[in-house]
Amino acid sequence: MKDIIEFLRAEPAINDFRITENATKSYELFFVHRDLETVRATDTASADVTVYVDHDGKRGDSTFAVYPSMGEKDLEAKIKSAVERAKLVDNEPYALPEKGELCAALPTNMEDADVKALAAKIADAVYAADDVPGGSINALEIFIYRDTVRVRNSRGVDKKQITHRVMIEAIPTFTNDKESVELYEDHRFTVFEPGKVTAEIAEKMKEVRDRAAARPPKTPMQISVLLRPAEIAMMMRELAADLNYASVYAHANLHSIGDDLQEAGAGDKLTLTMRGVIEGSERSAYFDEDGTELADTELISAGKVSAYFGSSRHGQYLGIEKPSGALRCAEVMPGTLSEKELCAAPYLECVSLSNLQLDLYNDYIGGEIRLAYYFDGEKTVPVTGITMSGRLSDVLKNMRLSEKTAVHGAYRGPERLLMPDITVL
Amino acid sequence: MPFSSYLEGKRKDCAELVAELGKRFSYVSILGTDVHAAVYRADRKSSMARDGEGECGFVVKMHDGSSFFEYSLDDISGDKKELAEKITAAVETDPSLEGRMIRTAALKDEPLVQDFVRETDFAGYDDAKLLGICRELSEKLCAADEKVRNAVAAIQPYWVSKLFVSKNRQLTQHYGWANGFLIVLYQDGKMVSARRVEGADKLSEIIENLKGGTEKVLDLARHLVTAKPIVPGVYDVITDSSITGLIAHEAFGHGVEMDQFVKDRALGKYFMGKYVASPIANMRDGAAAAHSVASYFFDDDGVLAHDTQIIRDGVLTAGLSDLASAAQLGTEPTGNGRRDSYKRKSYSRMTNTFFCRGTDKLEDMIASVKHGYMIFETNNGMEDPKNWQIQCTAEYGIEIVDGKLTENYVSPVVMSGYVPDLLKSISMISDGFEVIGSGYCGKGHKEWVRVSDGGPNLKARVKLG
Repeated sequence: MKDIIEFLRAEPAINDFRITENATKSYELFFVHRDLETVRATDTASADVTVYVDHDGKRGDSTFAVYPSMGEKDLEAKIKSAVERAKLVDNEPYALPEKGELCAALPTNMEDADVKALAAKIADAVYAADDVPGGSINALEIFIYRDTVRVRNSRGVDKKQITHRVMIEAIPTFTNDKESVELYEDHRFTVFEPGKVTAEIAEKMKEVRDRAAARPPKTPMQISVLLRPAEIAMMMRELAADLNYASVYAHANLHSIGDDLQEAGAGDKLTLTMRGVIEGSERSAYFDEDGTELADTELISAGKVSAYFGSSRHGQYLGIEKPSGALRCAEVMPGTLSEKELCAAPYLECVSLSNLQLDLYNDYIGGEIRLAYYFDGEKTVPVTGITMSGRLSDVLKNMRLSEKTAVHGAYRGPERLLMPDITVL
Repeated sequence: MPFSSYLEGKRKDCAELVAELGKRFSYVSILGTDVHAAVYRADRKSSMARDGEGECGFVVKMHDGSSFFEYSLDDISGDKKELAEKITAAVETDPSLEGRMIRTAALKDEPLVQDFVRETDFAGYDDAKLLGICRELSEKLCAADEKVRNAVAAIQPYWVSKLFVSKNRQLTQHYGWANGFLIVLYQDGKMVSARRVEGADKLSEIIENLKGGTEKVLDLARHLVTAKPIVPGVYDVITDSSITGLIAHEAFGHGVEMDQFVKDRALGKYFMGKYVASPIANMRDGAAAAHSVASYFFDDDGVLAHDTQIIRDGVLTAGLSDLASAAQLGTEPTGNGRRDSYKRKSYSRMTNTFFCRGTDKLEDMIASVKHGYMIFETNNGMEDPKNWQIQCTAEYGIEIVDGKLTENYVSPVVMSGYVPDLLKSISMISDGFEVIGSGYCGKGHKEWVRVSDGGPNLKARVKLG
């Protein structure tokens, strides 16, 4: 079949177009305990095509999917249908990103690896941590992906990014004579370091052993609660989403530029920057779905909202001269909380939450804690069966951020966030 | 829209590839999918009419008495011998893993040739009409009250065509479903988001309900701005159907997905035949158990839809299985093998999951509460089948004092606790019943499938925070 572009250029009603091609090859292993239950491989591709039609002083757009199995007649029919749909859509005009070519790959050491051998090595690295008496890894899923995304548009953009990434879902389990407990964990990386994988799983094996020993503490209590990177990342993602151009344009944002989220607060000042690339993060990108080159943007500076971020279209609607693009990674500046200071007062460190509940509108943060370490000022014991809740605005004002930093998913920043005076039931 | 002509044209290719791969594997099946979706959406400042998330491709499943093998691809045209060799090579393993394959009995492949169709009224609605309705609804909501910052109206129909071919089976199914949404962003001092969700296989029903729902969603928004945080504690609670369904889904839906039994990841495995809930509690799941978003005719393993009673009079009676987990457990699959898409693995998954209706009147249930809350509308939930912890988040609650609903709203409401404690605390079950077909469910944090859940109102005693 001819290139999609030729079909799009043949349709006179189309003022602009964008083609986003995604191709993924994967190799996947599914273990039940230590035995191999399923072996999978995939080789798939598809494209999302958006046509833009200017009419009545407005810009309409419509997107449709193109599959490799489609013939020329199918494609022509899809284009005609999309043009008619775009004529119904009347959004404020905006321009597509212009000119720009790129062919880039995220740094990786897996590019030339034999995926079957690599998968076996990853399995070995995981099971190397399965040496805790009473412990086991009851299930393991390994996904090795090679993703290629290419964005082209009618204004000369042609950008391609290749990402090699691995996702592991391991289920550490601990069984004693009374019960059997587990923790759910996933690990994602773009650079395979067997020792690091083993160390991370070993840490989880220790924690799941502690879960078996954990008991509900005496409640209710008001106490400082420590969050780990996974939950800190969720909190930052929620704050950032509120400051997205699209959210502001739709009048859905709670906070605006100049707002001080930490006014009269006694905690560490929050500086949150959205970034295109964070080393080691599979969410890193050099451009967004429009092909916009990503520009790192400091959203919150020392507690005050300093900027918004998002897609070129919604940035243009807000009059932003150079929109940041749809950034996906978040970085937070480290704070002043030291390990020595942490040891000076009681706290509850959340190891495993059902799901951190965050609600900006209702000023709420909370969730069910499956495993936490309770430090009473002298000794640390594992606890479970409790729920925490607090006011998000109070947390922001008074939170402390650790000096030590970590990378988790699309987040880089303080390894711990301390929330004072949280209700635990 | 009829069954996919594209898939219809691939029956022969599928049969030929099954035969070719059958020379190497004792069981081979192919699932072809052709799913189309559309999104119509309008708010105060923008509009949208576009394809939604669809899929079109094939997944080949193979078994030879040891492990299962799967290969996902976009097209199966061309030389079948060459393709079979490519597929076989792609699912080979590193030699170091060869001794670690599971062993299972041979899979059944009982003969069946059948085409299933469930009609919709989607053809009676074109793009202009559906987008026009969304615009009309959004404009009406925005104009209703100056405190409405924005209002979103959306309609999302989708059409499913699936073809299943094995040596002895050829099945096709075609059906559709649609969801509709109203979301009001409302500010009166505090900002809130109130929403209303509809699901049906008739757009006429969705549109009628959305039009009839505008005053209700505005009324909810006006109440939500008055909502206070709940004082954490243990309360008597009455659930609406949405929260009843969330409890069914998170408490025992995930807990009886039998691939978790295989992995020793669910306590339910050890509680079959035992009391796990109040003796008045009954719970079911199945694509054939209710008419809703997960009501297919056969699952992604080619197993016909079931209606499974999970809990009978408080006793755990059955689990939900896909082909692979049933083979490992030596049981019959229950038609719960579902995939996120043809690109992903099949797992044991819920479909339409609900508590069965009881005999109590809702007004009597409310009247029986001295101090507590009636809680409404699922926000999200999280399962823990191994340890039977549960977290369910409701959008809001209304305080009950001396047996009467008050005007005191609380939001959000996070319900958590130990599953048997929660289920055994169920003391009343209403005679009302609703299944809500607008949800998605993940396994862990991935593998999203459309599900419904619901049931009657429950009275229970739970921890709210």
